[in-house]
Amino acid sequence: MATVLVILHGLVAIALLGAITHQTLATWAPASSPAGSFFGRFRAVPSASFANAIVLLYVATALLGAVVYLRFKVDIQPYMERDRHWRALGFFDLKEDFVAIGLGLLPAYWTSWRRPLVDEHAGTGAALTAVLAFIVWWGFLVGHVLNDMMGFGS
Amino acid sequence: MTSTRAFRRFAFAYGIAFAVLYVIARARGLALFTVYPSLGIVLPGMHRSRDVADPVLDFLAPEMWWFGWTATAATGAFAVGLIAALFPDRWSSRFWSGWVWVAPAAAMLSCVYLTLPWFRL
Repeated sequence: MATVLVILHGLVAIALLGAITHQTLATWAPASSPAGSFFGRFRAVPSASFANAIVLLYVATALLGAVVYLRFKVDIQPYMERDRHWRALGFFDLKEDFVAIGLGLLPAYWTSWRRPLVDEHAGTGAALTAVLAFIVWWGFLVGHVLNDMMGFGS
Repeated sequence: MTSTRAFRRFAFAYGIAFAVLYVIARARGLALFTVYPSLGIVLPGMHRSRDVADPVLDFLAPEMWWFGWTATAATGAFAVGLIAALFPDRWSSRFWSGWVWVAPAAAMLSCVYLTLPWFRL
Protein backbone atom coordinates (compact mmCIF):
# COMPACT_ATOMS: atom_id res chain seq x y z
CA MET A 1 0.00 0.00 0.00
CA ALA A 2 2.82 2.40 0.93
CA THR A 3 4.55 1.74 -2.39
CA VAL A 4 1.33 2.49 -4.28
CA LEU A 5 0.95 5.74 -2.34
CA VAL A 6 4.57 6.75 -3.05
CA ILE A 7 4.09 6.13 -6.78
CA LEU A 8 0.80 8.05 -6.75
CA HIS A 9 2.48 10.87 -4.78
CA GLY A 10 5.23 10.97 -7.40
CA LEU A 11 2.81 11.00 -10.34
CA VAL A 12 0.71 13.84 -8.92
CA ALA A 13 3.95 15.70 -8.12
CA ILE A 14 5.06 15.36 -11.75
CA ALA A 15 1.76 16.86 -12.95
CA LEU A 16 2.23 19.72 -10.46
CA LEU A 17 5.84 20.20 -11.52
CA GLY A 18 4.81 20.46 -15.16
CA ALA A 19 1.99 22.92 -14.48
CA ILE A 20 3.94 25.25 -12.21
CA THR A 21 7.05 25.18 -14.40
CA HIS A 22 4.94 26.09 -17.40
CA GLN A 23 3.24 28.92 -15.52
CA THR A 24 6.53 30.24 -14.10
CA LEU A 25 8.28 30.26 -17.45
CA ALA A 26 5.25 31.80 -19.15
CA THR A 27 5.21 34.53 -16.49
CA TRP A 28 8.92 35.29 -16.40
CA ALA A 29 9.96 34.66 -20.02
CA PRO A 30 10.76 37.87 -21.93
CA ALA A 31 7.72 39.42 -23.59
CA SER A 32 9.81 40.18 -26.67
CA SER A 33 10.05 36.51 -27.64
CA PRO A 34 9.03 35.93 -31.30
CA ALA A 35 5.53 34.51 -31.66
CA GLY A 36 6.71 31.30 -33.33
CA SER A 37 9.56 30.63 -30.86
CA PHE A 38 9.43 28.17 -27.98
CA PHE A 39 8.92 30.90 -25.36
CA GLY A 40 6.56 32.74 -27.66
CA ARG A 41 4.26 29.72 -27.73
CA PHE A 42 4.78 29.28 -23.98
CA ARG A 43 3.61 32.83 -23.33
CA ALA A 44 0.58 32.38 -25.57
CA VAL A 45 -0.94 30.10 -22.90
CA PRO A 46 -2.94 32.19 -20.37
CA SER A 47 -1.02 31.74 -17.10
CA ALA A 48 -4.04 32.48 -14.92
CA SER A 49 -5.81 29.38 -16.22
CA PHE A 50 -3.19 27.20 -14.47
CA ALA A 51 -3.88 28.59 -10.98
CA ASN A 52 -6.84 26.36 -10.02
CA ALA A 53 -5.11 23.21 -11.24
CA ILE A 54 -1.89 24.12 -9.42
CA VAL A 55 -3.71 24.72 -6.12
CA LEU A 56 -5.56 21.38 -6.39
CA LEU A 57 -2.42 19.48 -7.41
CA TYR A 58 -0.36 21.10 -4.63
CA VAL A 59 -2.92 20.16 -1.97
CA ALA A 60 -3.25 16.62 -3.36
CA THR A 61 0.53 16.17 -3.49
CA ALA A 62 0.97 17.53 0.05
CA LEU A 63 -1.80 15.27 1.44
CA LEU A 64 -0.37 12.18 -0.23
CA GLY A 65 3.10 13.18 0.98
CA ALA A 66 1.79 13.63 4.53
CA VAL A 67 0.36 10.09 4.51
CA VAL A 68 3.59 8.64 3.11
CA TYR A 69 5.59 10.67 5.62
CA LEU A 70 4.04 8.66 8.48
CA ARG A 71 5.49 5.46 7.00
CA PHE A 72 8.80 7.18 6.20
CA LYS A 73 9.24 8.18 9.84
CA VAL A 74 8.75 4.61 11.07
CA ASP A 75 10.13 2.42 8.26
CA ILE A 76 12.82 4.52 6.57
CA GLN A 77 14.22 7.28 8.78
CA PRO A 78 15.68 4.99 11.50
CA TYR A 79 17.71 3.16 8.84
CA MET A 80 18.86 6.43 7.29
CA GLU A 81 20.01 7.57 10.73
CA ARG A 82 21.76 4.23 11.29
CA ASP A 83 23.59 4.72 7.98
CA ARG A 84 24.38 8.35 8.88
CA HIS A 85 22.61 10.01 5.94
CA TRP A 86 22.46 13.24 7.96
CA ARG A 87 22.60 15.62 5.01
CA ALA A 88 19.82 13.81 3.18
CA LEU A 89 17.68 13.99 6.32
CA GLY A 90 18.47 17.69 6.63
CA PHE A 91 17.37 18.30 3.06
CA PHE A 92 14.22 16.31 3.76
CA ASP A 93 13.51 18.44 6.86
CA LEU A 94 13.76 21.50 4.64
CA LYS A 95 11.35 19.88 2.21
CA GLU A 96 8.74 19.53 4.97
CA ASP A 97 9.28 23.14 6.04
CA PHE A 98 9.10 24.55 2.51
CA VAL A 99 6.00 22.50 1.63
CA ALA A 100 4.22 23.76 4.78
CA ILE A 101 5.10 27.38 3.97
CA GLY A 102 3.85 26.76 0.42
CA LEU A 103 0.53 25.51 1.78
CA GLY A 104 0.14 28.79 3.64
CA LEU A 105 0.84 30.70 0.44
CA LEU A 106 -1.84 29.00 -1.65
CA PRO A 107 -4.76 31.36 -0.83
CA ALA A 108 -2.63 34.42 -1.69
CA TYR A 109 -1.30 32.74 -4.84
CA TRP A 110 -4.82 31.81 -5.95
CA THR A 111 -6.28 35.26 -5.32
CA SER A 112 -3.37 37.03 -7.01
CA TRP A 113 -4.12 35.13 -10.24
CA ARG A 114 -7.86 35.70 -9.97
CA ARG A 115 -9.60 38.31 -12.06
CA PRO A 116 -10.27 41.24 -11.60
CA LEU A 117 -7.27 41.48 -9.25
CA VAL A 118 -4.78 39.74 -11.52
CA ASP A 119 -3.81 42.96 -13.29
CA GLU A 120 -3.36 44.85 -9.99
CA HIS A 121 -1.00 42.22 -8.62
CA ALA A 122 0.86 40.97 -11.66
CA GLY A 123 4.24 41.39 -9.96
CA THR A 124 3.08 39.77 -6.72
CA GLY A 125 1.49 36.88 -8.62
CA ALA A 126 4.70 36.32 -10.58
CA ALA A 127 6.82 36.38 -7.41
CA LEU A 128 4.48 34.00 -5.58
CA THR A 129 4.56 31.67 -8.57
CA ALA A 130 8.36 31.68 -8.52
CA VAL A 131 8.43 30.92 -4.76
CA LEU A 132 5.96 28.06 -5.21
CA ALA A 133 7.90 26.75 -8.21
CA PHE A 134 11.08 26.70 -6.11
CA ILE A 135 9.25 24.79 -3.34
CA VAL A 136 7.81 22.26 -5.80
CA TRP A 137 11.17 21.68 -7.51
CA TRP A 138 12.94 21.36 -4.13
CA GLY A 139 10.33 18.89 -2.88
CA PHE A 140 10.45 16.87 -6.07
CA LEU A 141 14.24 16.61 -6.25
CA VAL A 142 14.74 15.85 -2.54
CA GLY A 143 11.92 13.30 -2.52
CA HIS A 144 13.30 11.66 -5.65
CA VAL A 145 16.86 11.47 -4.27
CA LEU A 146 15.68 10.05 -0.93
CA ASN A 147 13.57 7.47 -2.71
CA ASP A 148 16.61 6.49 -4.74
CA MET A 149 18.73 6.20 -1.59
CA MET A 150 16.34 4.11 0.44
CA GLY A 151 12.95 3.70 -1.19
CA PHE A 152 10.19 1.51 0.12
CA GLY A 153 10.99 -2.16 -0.08
CA SER A 154 14.77 -1.60 -0.04
CA MET B 1 -16.10 42.92 -5.55
CA THR B 2 -16.11 43.84 -1.84
CA SER B 3 -16.00 40.18 -0.84
CA THR B 4 -13.20 39.62 -3.38
CA ARG B 5 -11.13 42.37 -1.77
CA ALA B 6 -11.91 41.10 1.73
CA PHE B 7 -10.78 37.63 0.69
CA ARG B 8 -7.64 39.11 -0.83
CA ARG B 9 -6.84 40.82 2.51
CA PHE B 10 -7.50 37.53 4.29
CA ALA B 11 -5.32 35.55 1.86
CA PHE B 12 -2.38 37.95 1.93
CA ALA B 13 -2.45 38.27 5.74
CA TYR B 14 -2.82 34.48 6.04
CA GLY B 15 0.20 33.84 3.83
CA ILE B 16 2.43 36.26 5.72
CA ALA B 17 1.26 35.17 9.17
CA PHE B 18 1.53 31.47 8.30
CA ALA B 19 5.16 31.85 7.26
CA VAL B 20 6.10 33.85 10.36
CA LEU B 21 4.17 31.62 12.76
CA TYR B 22 5.54 28.45 11.22
CA VAL B 23 9.11 29.56 11.86
CA ILE B 24 8.23 30.61 15.43
CA ALA B 25 6.45 27.28 16.04
CA ARG B 26 9.41 25.36 14.64
CA ALA B 27 12.04 27.36 16.52
CA ARG B 28 10.22 27.36 19.87
CA GLY B 29 8.69 23.89 19.63
CA LEU B 30 5.10 25.11 19.62
CA ALA B 31 3.39 22.09 18.11
CA LEU B 32 -0.37 21.96 18.58
CA PHE B 33 -0.08 18.18 18.80
CA THR B 34 2.50 15.39 18.49
CA VAL B 35 1.96 12.34 16.28
CA TYR B 36 3.41 8.93 17.15
CA PRO B 37 2.99 7.02 13.87
CA SER B 38 4.34 3.69 15.16
CA LEU B 39 1.87 3.73 18.06
CA GLY B 40 -0.98 5.31 16.10
CA ILE B 41 -1.62 7.97 18.72
CA VAL B 42 -1.81 11.77 18.74
CA LEU B 43 -1.09 13.72 21.92
CA PRO B 44 -1.95 17.39 22.41
CA GLY B 45 1.07 19.67 22.73
CA MET B 46 4.74 19.00 22.14
CA HIS B 47 6.15 15.71 23.45
CA ARG B 48 9.51 14.00 23.13
CA SER B 49 10.00 10.26 23.43
CA ARG B 50 13.38 10.81 25.10
CA ASP B 51 11.69 12.66 27.98
CA VAL B 52 9.98 9.46 29.12
CA ALA B 53 12.24 6.72 27.68
CA ASP B 54 15.91 6.08 27.11
CA PRO B 55 17.11 8.01 24.01
CA VAL B 56 18.49 4.80 22.49
CA LEU B 57 14.90 3.50 22.35
CA ASP B 58 13.78 6.62 20.49
CA PHE B 59 13.45 4.69 17.23
CA LEU B 60 10.68 2.53 18.74
CA ALA B 61 8.33 5.49 19.09
CA PRO B 62 9.55 8.30 16.83
CA GLU B 63 7.57 11.47 17.30
CA MET B 64 6.42 13.82 14.53
CA TRP B 65 5.96 17.51 15.15
CA TRP B 66 5.56 18.71 11.55
CA PHE B 67 1.80 18.21 11.59
CA GLY B 68 1.58 20.06 14.91
CA TRP B 69 3.75 22.98 13.73
CA THR B 70 1.66 23.27 10.58
CA ALA B 71 -1.57 23.20 12.60
CA THR B 72 -0.23 25.88 14.97
CA ALA B 73 0.72 28.14 12.06
CA ALA B 74 -2.57 27.51 10.22
CA THR B 75 -4.68 28.27 13.31
CA GLY B 76 -2.82 31.48 14.14
CA ALA B 77 -2.73 32.61 10.52
CA PHE B 78 -6.47 32.00 10.18
CA ALA B 79 -7.12 34.34 13.10
CA VAL B 80 -4.79 37.00 11.65
CA GLY B 81 -6.44 36.60 8.23
CA LEU B 82 -9.92 37.06 9.68
CA ILE B 83 -8.85 40.26 11.46
CA ALA B 84 -7.27 41.58 8.24
CA ALA B 85 -10.45 40.81 6.29
CA LEU B 86 -12.41 43.03 8.68
CA PHE B 87 -10.15 46.04 8.06
CA PRO B 88 -11.46 48.80 5.76
CA ASP B 89 -10.24 48.49 2.18
CA ARG B 90 -8.46 51.87 2.26
CA TRP B 91 -6.07 50.57 4.94
CA SER B 92 -4.77 47.88 2.63
CA SER B 93 -3.61 50.47 0.09
CA ARG B 94 -0.85 51.46 2.55
CA PHE B 95 0.30 47.87 2.71
CA TRP B 96 3.00 46.69 0.30
CA SER B 97 1.68 43.48 -1.27
CA GLY B 98 5.24 42.24 -1.82
CA TRP B 99 5.40 41.18 1.85
CA VAL B 100 3.34 38.15 0.84
CA TRP B 101 6.36 36.65 -0.95
CA VAL B 102 9.14 38.35 1.05
CA ALA B 103 7.90 36.89 4.36
CA PRO B 104 7.78 33.27 3.10
CA ALA B 105 11.18 33.67 1.43
CA ALA B 106 12.62 34.95 4.73
CA ALA B 107 10.85 32.12 6.58
CA MET B 108 12.45 29.58 4.24
CA LEU B 109 15.89 31.07 4.93
CA SER B 110 15.15 30.85 8.67
CA CYS B 111 14.24 27.19 8.23
CA VAL B 112 17.60 26.63 6.51
CA TYR B 113 19.28 28.13 9.58
CA LEU B 114 17.21 25.91 11.91
CA THR B 115 18.15 22.84 9.86
CA LEU B 116 21.91 23.50 9.96
CA PRO B 117 22.49 21.06 12.87
CA TRP B 118 21.73 18.17 10.48
CA PHE B 119 24.66 19.26 8.32
CA ARG B 120 27.10 19.46 11.25
CA LEU B 121 26.67 15.84 12.30
